[in-house]
Amino acid sequence: MGEWLSGVFSNPAVLSAIKVTFEMAFASTLISAVLGVAIGLWLQNHDFTGKKAVVRINRTLMGVPPVVIGLLVYLLTMRGGPLGPLSLLFTVRGMVLAQVLIITPIISGMVFSYAESAVPAIRAFARTMGADKKQTDRLIISELRNEIYFCIITGFGRAISEVGSVMLVGGNIKGHTRTMTTMISLLKSQGIYSEGIGLGVLLLIMAFILQTLGDYVRKEQIRDENY
Amino acid sequence: MRITELRKKIGKTDLYIEDLKIESGLVHGLVGPNGCGKTTLLKLIMGIVQPDSGSVDYEGLSMTDMTMMSQRPYLMHTSVYDNIIYPLKIRGEKIDRDEVEALMERVGLLDLKDQYAGSLSSGERQKLSFIRAIVFRPKMVLMDETLSNLDAESEALFREIIMERHREDGSTWLIVSHQWDEMNDLFDKVHHMEKGRIVK
Repeated sequence: MGEWLSGVFSNPAVLSAIKVTFEMAFASTLISAVLGVAIGLWLQNHDFTGKKAVVRINRTLMGVPPVVIGLLVYLLTMRGGPLGPLSLLFTVRGMVLAQVLIITPIISGMVFSYAESAVPAIRAFARTMGADKKQTDRLIISELRNEIYFCIITGFGRAISEVGSVMLVGGNIKGHTRTMTTMISLLKSQGIYSEGIGLGVLLLIMAFILQTLGDYVRKEQIRDENY
Repeated sequence: MRITELRKKIGKTDLYIEDLKIESGLVHGLVGPNGCGKTTLLKLIMGIVQPDSGSVDYEGLSMTDMTMMSQRPYLMHTSVYDNIIYPLKIRGEKIDRDEVEALMERVGLLDLKDQYAGSLSSGERQKLSFIRAIVFRPKMVLMDETLSNLDAESEALFREIIMERHREDGSTWLIVSHQWDEMNDLFDKVHHMEKGRIVK
């Protein structure tokens, strides 16, 4: 077992896939977290014509098949596409772009839902304490931190497990854009199962760690009885 | 503070305050049956709810001079102590730890100061909310049924602290209650509400 594991994880191709997966997942989660949290909180705090439609579109995008986003980004970044001159196709940056489009609506939709139920009480409290606008905004982010962490963890989980869009946009190029999931897909098609299982086990361990983190922050939320 | 032709319709509550003067330096009681609009009036004064029409003239009083204690106080996701010092922190005031802890000890919260506020019982939550509201010595305090939900001992203690602060600071208090006969000795002036109107 130990020999098998060390064999799997000493393979440079496997290590490269792990590295690319983490680079892509961290970068896309970071960008999506900034955008998603800002959009979710902004939506909660603003009333405008068409807000319900915007929220509905956001919720639709939360469940859009990643391969559709992958195709969209492929068409945008292909040589003749509007983003062609940026040379994003078959690069990690292109994969990050696709992931950001997939994860941002998930984070913004979740943040919006949490904010809808929690923020009115926080604003009212801030008002009673005499907090100004900046202090109120800081308080909202601080009070929603567990919920925001949970949204980000969910986004990160989605980023490391995604295969359809990164396959299309990244092209699954060995040592360059090959991720753990696209590598598993390729190994399976080649009938090489041992390395695929090794990567799968690693993904499962990561999913377990994320779930544990998610459970921890949800437990913190349950302790709260403010709203 | 003067409230003039203030109107707000929320659900079944149709609140209309034609003219209400809250003289400073007094302990006012706002009494009336459940659902008559007392809480809505406090929220309108505090600016938590916006009126449909009418106005509140604060007569020089700023929002940072006022506070309000709710029936269900909001507790920040932090320790009891950090909750209590929050109004001092946002005002950039020097935190006199001894004074804060003396207040906490008086209401029996000192032993719980490092505890997560969300884990407090409902009575302890009211105590935290009370101390947090008065720790920065506001000029005006609005209390929404805070005293009605306390046990006799805590209620007596809260009354004592209210009277002390009122004497020391000359602060104005507007205390909502539906048990006005029991609270009457605390009030300098009582405003009766019924069906969204001040009736006397």
